[in-house]
Amino acid sequence: MASLWSKISAILPPTEEQFPLQFSDKVALSVVEMLKRARQQLYGDATSASSRILTAQIILDYSWERLNTGTWRHVDKEWRRVYSYGCLFKAAAICRRSPSEEEILQAIRTCDMGLLMGAAIMENILQVIVRILQREIRTLAKEEDAHENIEAKKRKIASPHVGLIKDELSVPRIKCPSLESFNANYLLPLKPVILEGIIDHWPALNQHPWSIEYLRSVAGCRTVPVEVGSRYTDEDWSQTLLTVNEFIDRYILNEVQDSESDHKAVGYLAQHQLFDQIPELKEDIRIPDYCCLGEDDEDDITVNAWFGPKGTVSPLHQDPQQNFLAQVVGNKYIRLYSPEDTEKLYPHQSQLLHNTSQVEVESPDAERFPEFVKAPYLECVLRSGDVLFIPVKYWHYVRSLEISFSVSFWWS
Amino acid sequence: EDSCVRLAGFCASISSNESFSPVTVNTSGCQDAAISETHLTLALPGRIESWHGQLGHGGLISEEEPRTVEALWGMTMRSVAAGGWHSICVGGGDLYVWGWNESGQLGLPSRGLRKDEELHEEVFISIQAFPALVDVSPSCEISTVSCGSRHTAAVTTGYLYTWGWEYGQLGHQTTSSLDEPQCVEFFRNENLHVVDVVCGSWNTFTAAVKK
Repeated sequence: MASLWSKISAILPPTEEQFPLQFSDKVALSVVEMLKRARQQLYGDATSASSRILTAQIILDYSWERLNTGTWRHVDKEWRRVYSYGCLFKAAAICRRSPSEEEILQAIRTCDMGLLMGAAIMENILQVIVRILQREIRTLAKEEDAHENIEAKKRKIASPHVGLIKDELSVPRIKCPSLESFNANYLLPLKPVILEGIIDHWPALNQHPWSIEYLRSVAGCRTVPVEVGSRYTDEDWSQTLLTVNEFIDRYILNEVQDSESDHKAVGYLAQHQLFDQIPELKEDIRIPDYCCLGEDDEDDITVNAWFGPKGTVSPLHQDPQQNFLAQVVGNKYIRLYSPEDTEKLYPHQSQLLHNTSQVEVESPDAERFPEFVKAPYLECVLRSGDVLFIPVKYWHYVRSLEISFSVSFWWS
Repeated sequence: EDSCVRLAGFCASISSNESFSPVTVNTSGCQDAAISETHLTLALPGRIESWHGQLGHGGLISEEEPRTVEALWGMTMRSVAAGGWHSICVGGGDLYVWGWNESGQLGLPSRGLRKDEELHEEVFISIQAFPALVDVSPSCEISTVSCGSRHTAAVTTGYLYTWGWEYGQLGHQTTSSLDEPQCVEFFRNENLHVVDVVCGSWNTFTAAVKK
């Protein structure tokens, strides 16, 4: 059985000379020197593991500072590439000499940081390394007690009894419409609708049903961004990085109590391009055919994952693109307001939140926002297997009624 | 210039105002100025004006115009220093800090620096949006202060205190970052009286004389 290092070596360029380190002059020469030193240490035998890790860490720390200076969209892509190289050198250094399971997890986390914050290098080599490392973890896990698998029961989620959606306010539903009829009746007039039956073929609902156990097995040790706090308009809202296992334990199953407070904090794996980071999950979903009615290439469609416990709330807001919101697991209560009624929805004045309403949809302050109750709306409970079409700029409010996993497709 | 500070460069604010020609700011009587990659801080008699980055105004939004740090109004500030993501100033012998504390550079408890067991005990500060007073040493007055990218150094009467992110720049012969000011024992051991300090991004330079 080949050692882990030999598997990683095999996907790296065979020699130091063939290892690319090309950067624009945006990257300081001293940093390039550091990168060359790291490359030299990678291909040499004389260095100690701690030296290699130190060199990589310096590259990471320096580029991390660049990534955190100014606004994200102004960060030069070159610095994100440098950061990814830092992750590559660090992961390689960790895996050099028979790493323990803990060290392999650390290397996976390092690669994930590169995938999340960096930019693709060497044909997405970090992704390739993660795959190798995950296989290694699974091999090690198989050697552990088998009885653990028996104890992990598939959790059956009972459907909660939901308050009745009034017929006259409910979003219309249609089963597998033709492209032409969807285009004519909903896309062109920009009318919301729930499409039924159009994701029945997804592996996520068939061969690989997205249960908690499945998600753990495919992505448990991967690091993802999690939003903590009841909603993004709150003062105590923040983002943190957790492995999927930690997120599930702490925020989905609530097995780890937040000792500071009695009430459990809400954690939401929200608006994250999880499927770029974890290709195994991408294979469980499909881009809806109806997206071809837009102008975008498939590559330009933004696919986001939304995975969280009961009670996650997305405040009333609008997005600049068309949206197909596919519900895979669980149920969500959704309310929709037309962009024609925007003045009754009191959007925030600030540039940062101008696409978000100030109003608490399910308990509106009638004194501060008197027009709100006059705004007409549609509502629904989006169930597993449903896909909601949210037309561009249509205001939407979402609250999960139980553990939920949705996938959104933003297209134009 | 006598009473003006001229600035030019890239202002990465939320409304994306790029300023490529010098901007004049009326700052008569300006005693000190500190500039870092993300913000500019000025010390004027009786006021501190700061903008861009961690400004000490209680929010996290960039400001395009200099604005007085209200919390320090009325106090005469002698000097000011700016790090990568934090600011400090000295007035009445006291040290005030504000900004990002992810490496303990403010000298306030920083969550990232503590081990898991300690996490339930304290209140941690990751962002200090208003100036906070920091006790550097029990009896001594601060004479000079300087900031690196993520660390801070202060000179009292002959002693050097450092805290924040550690890559060796704190001078304590350890590798741990600190979220509390700590005296650099080296100078005491070598019988050296520290008179001045200047920080680079990741290093610290001191001037000291033999006692």
